This record gives sequence, C-alpha cells and structure tokens, in this order.
Amino acid sequence: MAIETLVLGAGQEVGKSCVVVNINGKRIMFDCGMHMGYNDHRQFPDFSLISPSGDFNDALSCIIITHFHLDHVGALAYFTEVCGYGGPVYMTYPTKALSPLMLEDYRKVMVDRRGEEELFTSDHIAECMKKVIAVDLKQTVQVDEDLEIRAYYAGHVIGAAMFYVKVGDAEMVYTGDYNMTPDRHLGAAQIDRLRLDLLITESTYATTIRDSKYAREREFLKAIHKCVSSGGKVLIPTFALGRAQDQNSGKTIGTAREMNGLYYLDGIQFGNTSFFGSNSTNSELCILLEDYWERMNLKVPIYFSAGLTIQANMYYKMLIGWTSQKIKDTYSTHNAFDFKNVHKFERSMLDAPGPCVLFATPGMISGGFSLEVFKHWAPSENNLVTLPGYCLAGTVGHKLTSGKSTNIDIDPDTQIDVRCQIHQLAFSPHTDSKGIMDLVKFLSPKHVILVHGEKPKMDSLRERIHSELEIPCYNPANNETKCSSVDTPNSTLIDRNLTPELKVEDERVADGVLVMESNKKAKIVHRDEVLIMLDKKKQEV
Amino acid sequence: MNETLQPQQNQTEQPLTLHTLSSIRSLLINPSTPKRTVSSLLQTLTQSPRPTHHTLNLLSDLATHHSSFSQPALDSLIHSTDSPTRLAVDSLASISELSFPELDDERFVSLCFGPSIPGRIWMLRNAGCTFRVRPALLFTVLLGSTKDPYPYVRAASLEGLVGLSGHGEFCDVSMVKGCYLRALELFDDMDDCVRLSAVRVVASWGLLLSASNADMKAYWCNEVFAKLCSMARDMSVKVRVEAFSGLAKMEMVSKDFLLQSLSKRVLGNGKQRETMDQITSEQFAMLATSVAGALMHGLEDEFFEVRKSACQSLHRLTILSVEFAREALDLLMDMLNDDSVVVRLQALETMHHMALNGWLKLQEKHLHMFLGALVDNCREVRCAVRKILKVVRLGDLAMFKSSIDRLLKNLDSYLQDEADVFSAFSHLGRNHKKFVGYIVKETFEEVEAAFEGNDGFKSARIAALLIISISAPLFNEYLGIIPPVLFSYAVTLLGRIYLAFSDIMDKDTLLAYLCEKSRPSSDSVSDINHEDVEQQLSLIEGDTPNCDSNGVIDSKIGSQIMKEQKEVTCYQVEQHQSEYSEVTVYVNFILAKFPDMWQMIETGLTNEVLRSLRCLKEELTSLNIDSSESRDALAFTLLYLRIIKLLVEVWEHLLPAKGSCSHGLAELEFKLGKLDKRIKELMSKLVGFSAEEELNILELILVTYALRLWKVETICVNLTFKRLTSIYSCVESMLKERPVLPSNFVVELGKLLHKCQTASVNGASCSTLQFDKCLKLFSLKKFVFRGTIRQLKAELSISNNDSLHPFPFVSGLPVSVPCEITLHNIISKCKLWLKMSFDDGLVQYVFLDLDHLEGYGDVRSFAFVAPFYRTPKANSFRLKVCISLECLFESVCPVQRYGGPKYELVPLCKEKQVYFSNVNKD
Ligand SMILES: [Zn+2]
Repeated sequence: MAIETLVLGAGQEVGKSCVVVNINGKRIMFDCGMHMGYNDHRQFPDFSLISPSGDFNDALSCIIITHFHLDHVGALAYFTEVCGYGGPVYMTYPTKALSPLMLEDYRKVMVDRRGEEELFTSDHIAECMKKVIAVDLKQTVQVDEDLEIRAYYAGHVIGAAMFYVKVGDAEMVYTGDYNMTPDRHLGAAQIDRLRLDLLITESTYATTIRDSKYAREREFLKAIHKCVSSGGKVLIPTFALGRAQDQNSGKTIGTAREMNGLYYLDGIQFGNTSFFGSNSTNSELCILLEDYWERMNLKVPIYFSAGLTIQANMYYKMLIGWTSQKIKDTYSTHNAFDFKNVHKFERSMLDAPGPCVLFATPGMISGGFSLEVFKHWAPSENNLVTLPGYCLAGTVGHKLTSGKSTNIDIDPDTQIDVRCQIHQLAFSPHTDSKGIMDLVKFLSPKHVILVHGEKPKMDSLRERIHSELEIPCYNPANNETKCSSVDTPNSTLIDRNLTPELKVEDERVADGVLVMESNKKAKIVHRDEVLIMLDKKKQEV
Repeated sequence: MNETLQPQQNQTEQPLTLHTLSSIRSLLINPSTPKRTVSSLLQTLTQSPRPTHHTLNLLSDLATHHSSFSQPALDSLIHSTDSPTRLAVDSLASISELSFPELDDERFVSLCFGPSIPGRIWMLRNAGCTFRVRPALLFTVLLGSTKDPYPYVRAASLEGLVGLSGHGEFCDVSMVKGCYLRALELFDDMDDCVRLSAVRVVASWGLLLSASNADMKAYWCNEVFAKLCSMARDMSVKVRVEAFSGLAKMEMVSKDFLLQSLSKRVLGNGKQRETMDQITSEQFAMLATSVAGALMHGLEDEFFEVRKSACQSLHRLTILSVEFAREALDLLMDMLNDDSVVVRLQALETMHHMALNGWLKLQEKHLHMFLGALVDNCREVRCAVRKILKVVRLGDLAMFKSSIDRLLKNLDSYLQDEADVFSAFSHLGRNHKKFVGYIVKETFEEVEAAFEGNDGFKSARIAALLIISISAPLFNEYLGIIPPVLFSYAVTLLGRIYLAFSDIMDKDTLLAYLCEKSRPSSDSVSDINHEDVEQQLSLIEGDTPNCDSNGVIDSKIGSQIMKEQKEVTCYQVEQHQSEYSEVTVYVNFILAKFPDMWQMIETGLTNEVLRSLRCLKEELTSLNIDSSESRDALAFTLLYLRIIKLLVEVWEHLLPAKGSCSHGLAELEFKLGKLDKRIKELMSKLVGFSAEEELNILELILVTYALRLWKVETICVNLTFKRLTSIYSCVESMLKERPVLPSNFVVELGKLLHKCQTASVNGASCSTLQFDKCLKLFSLKKFVFRGTIRQLKAELSISNNDSLHPFPFVSGLPVSVPCEITLHNIISKCKLWLKMSFDDGLVQYVFLDLDHLEGYGDVRSFAFVAPFYRTPKANSFRLKVCISLECLFESVCPVQRYGGPKYELVPLCKEKQVYFSNVNKD
C-alpha cells in the first residue's frame, strides 16, 4: 500500500499551494491557492491533472484549506464555481470568516482598478462559501465512513491550521504555513504525537535559523523609548486593513499595489503582510508597545490613524480563541486588543508639540496618510520612523532603507530633507528550519514531503532530514507525483541499543474504550480509566 | 425506614441496596450508636454475599468510628485482598488509611499485575509509601509496569520510580542504567502524561547514574543534560516545564554543551571545541542537535510556566560555567521585557543569585533593560532590581552613574519606595567607594547648594546623594576624600536616612559615626582639590570583591563608638578585613530573608522555601573563607539555616493536608529530635549572642517542645513538659530584666502554662489543642549578625595511630590515650568532656579541667593524656574519642550518669578512631 502525493502547486516554489493526496483510496486536496506572480494560466494549479474528464466530484473526497492567505485559498472560488467541484470544503471558523473578504478584495483590485478580466464574481465567492464546512481545533470530523480529519493550531495567521487525516490505518499531516515560535498575539503550532505515515510540510525558510526575537523587540522598544523620552514623534507606517480602505478611495490604489506585490512575495522576504497578515504585524507591534507603556508607566500618547482600530478589535474579539496563551489568559480581565493607551489621531495633531507614537497607513509610505505625516515629521532629527523588513522598490520606504540619501523626492515639486532616525524591523510568521526539524523530529513520520519553498534550500533541508533523522524525504516539483510506501517499519529516533529487556504482555487490551478528551482528541483507554480521567477533571475544576 | 436497619432482614442472598447502605453509614458515623447495633452491622457487612466498594467503605468507617470493632473490621478487609481484584485494591486503600497494611511479596505482585486498571494504578502509586516492600522487588515491579499497555499505568509506574530514586541505595549500576534507558525510550511515548513522568525519571535516575561512577560522571551528566534538552521542544507544556525543572538539578555539564543550549545553530568545530577531550568531543558531535537552542526556546516559549521554569534552571546552570553565565545573562536581560510578572521576577531572582556568586557581569548594553526595570509598574519587580543593585559590582563609573540616575528616577516615580531606594544607595556607596570618590565633587556642590539655599528644600535626591557619600568610607576609611561637612549635613537628615543603614547599625550608632566623621581632621581640606582626589583615588584599589588591601580601617572611630555603645556592639572594630565586612553583609542578607520565607510558608509555599533554603545552603557551603571571624559568621549562619530548614520541614506536618498522616509521624518525631539537637548546638557551640538573640533562640526551643507535646509525644510527656516550663521560666526572667515585649507566641504559651499550673496538672492533661493555638502565633524574627558571635570549636588529633599501627594494651589494665587538643574561643565556664565510646556502647567520660591545662586566650593548644579503664578481653579494640561540651543552659536534668556529665553533650569536633592491639595475643 502507498500514499500518492500529486503536487499541483508550491512544488519547489512559493505560491498557489495545492497538493492532492491519494490515501487508502480517498483523494483529498490540501489548499487551493493562486500564484500572485502570474497573470496567465500559471496563476492557478493545473486541475486537469486531477481528472482529465473534469469530473472533480468523483475524483476528490474533499478539499481542506489551511488558512486565508490567497496563495492557499485564492483559487477556491474558481475551482468550485467555474470548474464545477461540488464536494465538501473544510476550513477553520476564522478562515471561513476571512477567506471571502480576501477573495473579494482581490477580485476588486484586479477588476475594478486594473480592468483585468474577471476570473470569478462576487456571486461565485458567495456560492463557494456555501460549500464550506467549518471545523474547530482538535475536533475529529468524520468526512465519510472511512475518512476522518482533525485540525491543529498552526500559528502563522489567525485561523491557520495543520490538518491530520486518517483513512483506515494510513495517517498523515499536511501543515500549511505554520510557526514554531510564538509571538505576542499568536501562539506556536501545537500538535499531538501521532503515528504518521506521511508529513507534508512547508519549507519557506528551509535553511534559515532565526535568532531570538527578543533582541529585535528590545532594539525596537529602546529606539522608541529613547525618541519619545527626548520629546520626539514616532511614525509607524502599517499595512492597510483590507476593506477599511473602501471608505477612503483615494488611498486604495497605493494599497492595492502594495498588496499585490506582497502577496507575490509571501513568505520569501518577510511573510504575509496583507489584510490580516499585515494586521498581524500591526497587532504585534501594538501589543508590544502597549505592554511596554503599561509596565514603564509611560504617559506618551499612542495614536491610530482613522479606521485602524475598529477592525482589529472586531475580528480579534471574535476570534480570541485563536490567539496566544497570554491573550487568552488575560482575556476575561483585559482584552489585549482594547489598546488602553491608544487614541484616535486627528489631522490637527500633526504639528502639535510634544512626543507621540502614530500608527498610519499605508505601510511603505507609498502615499496616503503615512506620507503626509512623513512630510511633516521627517525633517526633525528628534523624530523616528520605523519600517517593515521589506519595502517594495519605488516606495518612500524603499528609498529610506536602501540609500543614505537625505533628500527624497516625493514628486517633481516636493523634496523632503530627511533628518529623522530610521529603524527597520521584521516579524516573520513562518517557522525557521530549526522549527521544521523540531516538528519532524517530534512527529517522526515514515516519510516527509517538502512544499512551499525554494528548490536549493529545500534540497539542503531534505538532506538533513534524511541524514539526521533518518527519514526518507522528498521535494517534488509541480505536477509530479510521489508515492510513499506505508509498509516500511516506522522509523524511530530511539537509539538502537535500547532494546527492551523486559516484556509485560497484557491480553486485556480489548477492554479499551474510546473517549474524547476535552481537547477532542480521541484516545483509547481502559474503561476503568475513564473514571480516573473524569475524576481528574473534577479535581481541576 | 427503621425496619430496613434491622440486621436480620438483611440476611438474605440479595446484595445490600444503596438505600440500606446509606442508612448503615449514618448509623456508623454516629458515635452514640449502641455497641450491639454496631456489632450486628459488622456482621451484616462481613456476611454480605457480594462485597462491593460501598461495603468496604462502610467497614473502614466502622473501624475508624468504633475502635472496639476496628480489629474484626480490619480482618474482614484484609480477607478481601485475597484475590487480585479491583475490590482487593479498594480494601487495601481502606486499610492503608487505618494502618500499615502488611502484604507478602506474592500478594503484592499479584495485586500490581491484577486485571483492574485503577487497581494497578493505585498499587503503583502507593507501593513506595504505603507498603513495606523490598526496594528490589518494588523496582522490578515498577520497571515492568512501564510496559503496561495503558498510559496511566505507565505514568504511575514511572512516578513510582521517581519516588524510589530518592530512597534506596542502588549499588548495581546496570540496574540504574536500565531504568534510565527505559525512561528514555518513553520519551517517544504517544501520551503526554507518560512523557512527563519519563522526563522526571530521566532527571532523577540520570543523577544516580552520573553519581555511580566518578570517572564517568562528566559523561553521564552531559548525556542527561542533552536528553532533557531534547524535550524542550515537546508539544506538551507540562513536559517542557518538567524538562527545565530537570535541568535545574544538573550537577555538572561541560561548557560546550551549556553554550550550545543557548544557540539554535549547532556550534562548529571552532574555538568552542578546543577545550574538550576526545570523548566529550565525540559525545558533543552526537548530541549537539538535541541540545541546540533548548534554553533559548524555553525562554521564548508561549507559556509563562515554561519561561519561568527556564529562567529558574539558569539559576543552577550559571553556577556551572562562567562563560555560560555571561552569555545566559544577555538572554536573561531580555526576560525583563516579558509580559508576565512572574517571569520577570524569576529572571531577576536568577540574576540576584548570579550577583551573589560574583558572576553577574553587567555591561553597558544591559543597562537600558536592567535599570529600566527600576520604573516597572510592579512593586516586586522594582524591589528585586534594587536587591541586585545592593550586591552587584558595577564595572565602570558610567554604569555607576546610570544606576544612581535610574534609582533617583525610581524615587521620582514611586515615592513609596523611598526606604528601600535609600538602602540601595547605602549599599551602592559601600560597595563602590572608588566611584563615590569620583563623583564626590559634583555631589558636594549640589548638596552644598541645596543646604545653603536656605529654602528648606531638602529633596529625596539630596538625601540619596548624602547617603551614598557617607556610606563609602564605612568600612574603608581613606584619606578624607568625603568632605566632613557632608557628614554634618547628613546628621540633619538622620531621621530620614538612618533606615538605610539598619542592616549594620542602629540610629544612635549612625549618629555617633556621623559626628565623628564631621569633625574636620588635621589633614582634611575643606575645599576639595580635584587633583588631590584623583591622586588619592589612584591609591585605592579597585572596587573588586575580596580585595584585602582596601585602605586602612579607622579603628579610632570604631572604638569611639564602642565606648558610647556598650550594650550593642553594632559597629565592629574588629573589621580589619574587607572580606569580613563582605561576609557580614552577605550573612545579614541571608538572615534577613528568613522572616519573609516564614511568611511564604504560612501561605503554603513550603516547597519553594525549601528550595531556596537548599540554594542558600549550597551557596554558603561553597564560599571559601580564610579569616576566623568570617568562619564564625558562616558557621553561625549555616547552623541557623539548618535549623530554619528543619523547622520548615516540621511545620509542613502541621498543615492540614499532611497533618494526620500516620506514617509521617515517625518522620516528624525524627525531625523534631534533630531540630532539638541543632538548636541546642546553636545555644552551646556559639557564644556572644545579645540578650534579644538569646531570647529568640529560646523561643525556638519552646516551639520545638510545644510541637512535640502537640504532635508526637506519648511516652515522655512529663519530661518534655518539665523542660518546656523550665525554658519558659528562663525566658520569663530574661524578659523581666529587659524592656522587650514578649512575642505573641510566648504570651499565649505563658497563659497556657499558667492555666496548667493553677489546675495543678502536668503536660499529659494539657489539651493538645491549646498548643496548636500558641503555635499558630509563632513567627520568625529577624536575626542580625553583628560580629560578636563566636564559634566554640575543638580540634583533636592522636598521632601515630591507625588500624595498621595500633597502640598496645594489656587486657584488664588501663591504657592511656595521648591526645593533642586545640580549643577555639573556649571560656573557662565551659564544661568540656572527653567522650570515649567503645563498640559495645559503653561510654567513658573524662573531664577536661580547663583551669589546670596549659595555654590561654582564644586559641589554646595542649597535650592531654586520657586514661581508658575498661580494656576488654580481646585481641584488639577500637575507641571513638570526641571532645564534647555540656549544655548548661537547660536546668532540667534527664541524664543520670555516675560521675559523668549531668547535662546533654554537644560534640565540638569530629569523632576520632583510636586502635588498640593486645600485647599478649593468643
Ligand atoms: Zn500563509
């Protein structure tokens, strides 16, 4: 018996994640993304490889979407409404809530602003979402008699999940994008130890090992604290919040351009920075500052430019269960997204005296309000501008990070003498190679397939998994199929010399009972043990 | 309803209904139920056709509530353990609440492998503490059960092994290794709870394994370290927490392993490796990936429990390598940015320990974070930073100045911190006299301006600057760098600043010190010449710890103060070495902790307290001290710490959870005995206590006796009671002479004793409950070491004798034992005995008459020939000889020996073995 993996997208590249797995006779599509770098047929996965006849309903048992980024969900509406797939689609609740917004946003930018041909309509999106079945974390869902799936927390962005699939005695996990180190508002990926035949994992940072995020945080806070305590003003340009932009139509084009570029670059440079991806960075910075202000008893005001707070609050309140431990813990007493020190910024405050911190859109100072503020504040060496880790060429942000030039031409008539301090910082929502290795080691599957990465780096990681963990590992290219045989004995990490010298057999395993724990993970315990488990819970209460 | 209770009606073949059972229960727990009824209930229960869980419970209820029937009820319960069923285990559980169940090996094993899963789990969980099972058998059963198909059974067996590791001595290394390796296998278990317990086994048995072979210790320690590190990335929070708790127990780890745990990248063959030997190097290559970044991951963890545990493990690990301590500090500093107060506090606590060890090397890059915490909105955090500032050595003037600035900012933002901020300034000044010298000119100008301004503006800032200036010459007078007028200014603020010095002197002493210093001496100049200062400063050795050549002590001032302060000798003339003042400060620092710890105990944090006590003890014992004064200080502190530790352990038994544990009683009695011995040792072996201190110690003795009367004493009630009253009257008479208020505990105890006396009863009829009431009022007082305490000590040596070179003797005739004796701090009122004990328990005492022996002064050395009379009829024999001190302070006399000491003895030296061989061998 074997598990067959057909890679339709994100094979040796980043973009249009889509993998179809044939496991014990069931065919499952993981993710259905679009490639933001192309405008032709390469934009979508080649669905014809699934079924030459185009009968996708028979060919697939279900679709599973890991998170709302367009390179994971972008082709879904097209596949269901245009190609005609009518079977079930599974995703988490937040992903279900946010995906239609993402798809709609994208459609608008492409069609309304750029006049490109429409690939799917608003109605398509609405129809498509009707096929979606939302799942909870660690909830075991019986797709049909033989196929069960379960979602695990993946970090990365709100609602992101890894999926476990079991058909008969074959088991596998598809990770989607994930993060193994927590930040202040999203937790680290969390999964049970399972007996896996196959693990399909992303490998965006296949060779990078990241240093502690603390150093970056410290430098960021130090720079800001120093600036405000000497009376300066801090500008933190942040990425747009999707639809919030509709109200200020004038700024949307700049945002859209950013968005397009950023999607394309998802994961390679600095991760996902659109919509909630970007909002994620906003929240991260804001929570960081808010904590610091609270702890240091700082009274300097923090401002959000119009429209920024409302959405962040709304969604995160709704989705509180998907954030990090800290935020969940304190939620009952204090909502971390109710930024206590944050106030709304009025244009009239631009030249008001005294220190302050301002979050303003758009993120790369490509226009709009952040540019306006920048014009006012940049000429003073007391002030500080922080920039994301990556800025698109042509933006003011890019000029600030690349050149030493102190004079920046905004347009032929305007030139700014930049004397303020510049501080760059980046947060990545993807795991580094150490995290991938740690996950693979923890799960110890029989086979590993790498997707969502650059080929040379994936090759090197593949070798490491093979040599260090002794697990066969592959990184097939797009449209390749990889067979992983399931009959080979489980590769374990136990030292070979640890042969057990004692053996206690127990024929009473048949007394086992299947129970669901609170985390909805099923496990076999003896029927008498159920009482113990219940008792234990009683004590905890 | 009453009809159903008629036992006759239950004599059917039907099992008892729940309704009936509950009625029986209400009868049983009612103490006034007539015996006849109880007897028939017992019959009903034992003859019930199918015993159930409920009938067992009722039987044990019956045994508890009606003592006259407890034996037959127990017998019936024991009968139920015949076959290895769930029921058998239940009845065992019931029995174990009543007494020690006796189980033979076969029964024990069959129950442990019985078909009932909860039964197995109960057996494995309780095997170690409830049954008297041979360790070897227990070990085998536990190890076997780690293969059980059910996860909770596996976990229980692993927990059993953890417990076992603390008890038995395991001589067979392969046994230890087998257990360790089995737990390692379970690191891959599917179940979180099993992995959790496996981590605990690897940590505890790994330690045993590394201790089993001195040559391999380093190897195994590295191995255990790496394995624990590999669990730092487990997906279960509890497992991760436990992995770091395990790391906190490591006794040694190679530097390269430690450093690797801070770096996610595997460290290459570069400079890190050159120090390693071949084996370590190969081992490192094997294990580096599992170690990589483990601690860093722990510190970055999403869950504060894990981050806290990681910070805590650093506490231990930083002791193991200086280089590691330096690198770990960078990470620890970042933890001050943590959103959890608990984690911030733990990070600071760890730094504090590093500072005490002298391994806290603050650098410029740390200051923003570190000093930033001085304005943290959490009071405990600010306090913890100041605690570190009080002991740390700052490396350069810039850091010293920044610290002052930030402390002042602390004061600005949080007025309520004033007392402790001032105290921090005082310590900062004492520890950095050279830096104080550098800033004295500007300080002087600022203070002078404030005072001359005549606007009455004497801000906290000025007070702080004065404190730091006047602290600098405290232990190190040097050439009048501090202008005398500063001391006069300080006098005017005495009321505000004296608390900053309360750890070393009281208000009056401080005043005397300030007055003395404010008198301009002939060579001091009123105007400071900057060049002169520079020159003088260059004469002063750097502000490094343990630097003996630090200026000259102004003994003139010291003696002056002595004259004015006859009773309390606060300011020590004898402080001739800066090391001594270091030790005093350190010792007082430790002593100051105990009252706080006591409060923690009352809030139930016993384990935390015990842990910190253990750490303190380790620190104390690891100090390397040369001067005899310091040795006295340490001996006192160590002994006092041991007493506190025992007291804490004993106190734990009083907490409701542990209170009625029957098997804990023997342990309690043992500990009380030890406590009693230690306090007496403190009372006798150390001299120079002030009256208050003596009162405190006597109060501790009272507590011990009260505890004994309340909890354990059954045989010697009268004697203990007598002792209690005698010590109490001693306390009473001391209190009369002094204007000191007795503590609540003493007051309450007095009332109780008075009641007993007026009722003319002895301790036996004194209600134990009342002791409980007294004890609840007890709290630990702060002990301040003032340098007057001396340790009585003796050295005994017997030359030219060992088992190969015995002294000759003739059986039946006395033989002489030539002793060379050195006595320290022994005064003539001490009664010393040479105690010679023979193998069969026979003891002979020889009195050492100090008036008739050579030598005088603090240290006396002389030779003394002791006769031993009862030489046996044997080819050879051995004597154990020891110099002991008679405890004179207790007037109740339990020891009735003919011609020997009347009171209890405290050994002053280690026992010496003397060997004799018969000249007329067969
Ligand atoms: Zn993504």
